[in-house]
Amino acid sequence: MSDAYLRFWGVRGSYSAPFESHLGVGGNTSCVEVRVDDQIVICDAGTGIIPLGNELMAQSKIRNLLVILTHYHWDHICGLPFFVPAFVPDWNIDFFGPGQCDDEIKEHVSAQMQAPYFPVGTETWLANVNYLKPTKNQEIAQGPISFEYHNVHHPGTTYGYRIKAMGKSILYISDNECSYLGKSIDRKSDELTEEEKQLYEEMKKEEHLAEIEMVKDADILIHDAQYTPEDYEKKRGWGHSCYIDTVNIAIEAGVKELYLYHHDPNYDDDAMEKIHQHSLSIIEEKNSSLKCFIAREGLIVDLS
Amino acid sequence: MTGNSPTIVVVDDSPTVKALFERGIIDCQIELKVFRSADNAWTYLEAISPALLFLNIKMPGKDGLTFLKELRHLPLHKETSVVMISSKDYAQDRSVAEKLGALEFITKPMPIQVITDVIHKYLQPTKTT
Repeated sequence: MSDAYLRFWGVRGSYSAPFESHLGVGGNTSCVEVRVDDQIVICDAGTGIIPLGNELMAQSKIRNLLVILTHYHWDHICGLPFFVPAFVPDWNIDFFGPGQCDDEIKEHVSAQMQAPYFPVGTETWLANVNYLKPTKNQEIAQGPISFEYHNVHHPGTTYGYRIKAMGKSILYISDNECSYLGKSIDRKSDELTEEEKQLYEEMKKEEHLAEIEMVKDADILIHDAQYTPEDYEKKRGWGHSCYIDTVNIAIEAGVKELYLYHHDPNYDDDAMEKIHQHSLSIIEEKNSSLKCFIAREGLIVDLS
Repeated sequence: MTGNSPTIVVVDDSPTVKALFERGIIDCQIELKVFRSADNAWTYLEAISPALLFLNIKMPGKDGLTFLKELRHLPLHKETSVVMISSKDYAQDRSVAEKLGALEFITKPMPIQVITDVIHKYLQPTKTT
């Protein structure tokens, strides 16, 4: 029997929210651990990777880690300067993320640990650190865990990951602005001719089909759901989704379990509960079998 | 179409973009080549520098900005005229595109006339009669 699970170590987007009113959901930024026996893949390295690193230091069995980064915005890498295993010689840590080559990935991972922003650089990491090269087919395997990566709608090159473990398909898409083009087309409709409107209706369908295809039949979808509709209107174009769009896409794509993720740090536990309840009501109205959860720090999802 | 017509290359996974460009160049003597991905365009672009290269950003496979960075490493494409054409209307993408020497950043949805105007701005295509 395999010991296989995923665990949320950080669920916030943008910046950490260590406020009493938020701690039911959690205050650390993006980090999810996927574990199958002794193999661990860590999705993103926000502040959530710090307590994960501390827990790993308390055991002696596991020494190999793979950290996959969706992109290099601070909330996804700011835990690395405090990730203790990186500073200890007997650890082997591989990194992967957006970049043309392994050197570019190294450059991006290292950039935040430089004067005057941080007192020591990644040259002080004593672990055996490697940066994985991008592959032609965009697939990488690490023991019993493999993953594919694809581009998502967020500023800069940003990846979403489809992770395969224990026969399950786990989609980790921390930052993605759903249906952005379709909404832009609707907003600019008055500026378009009839011929253009017809063509852009086709383009909307293309975007929608691509979004569905990206998450289709996922057993577990961990997806950006940062904003309420009201906040989305104010922050459209910031690269994040309204939770309603996330829920609707998950329903249409036949996802089994959805974990709303990358929570806005301004939302306390009560606000998150309202988002959850509304999401459940959307699912009920649509007679969908989708199971929907709020990603909470410490939540463990069994993969066996 | 004449053998002297300038060639425009479009790299975009959307079939609709192809239709928009076909409509946008209808009155110009332009040779249009459309590729659905960076990988599909690579063999052609290794050998030929088009008069104008339009690149989408978010595509399956390699994204347009990463692709442009690779192209700029080729001596053939150090000076190739490039226009980004994307739904990703983000400052970060605009900034990266500018650093890579893109001439313009067009956001979707754009009227067909925008395509025509950009082509006329950077090329002087002969009008068909």
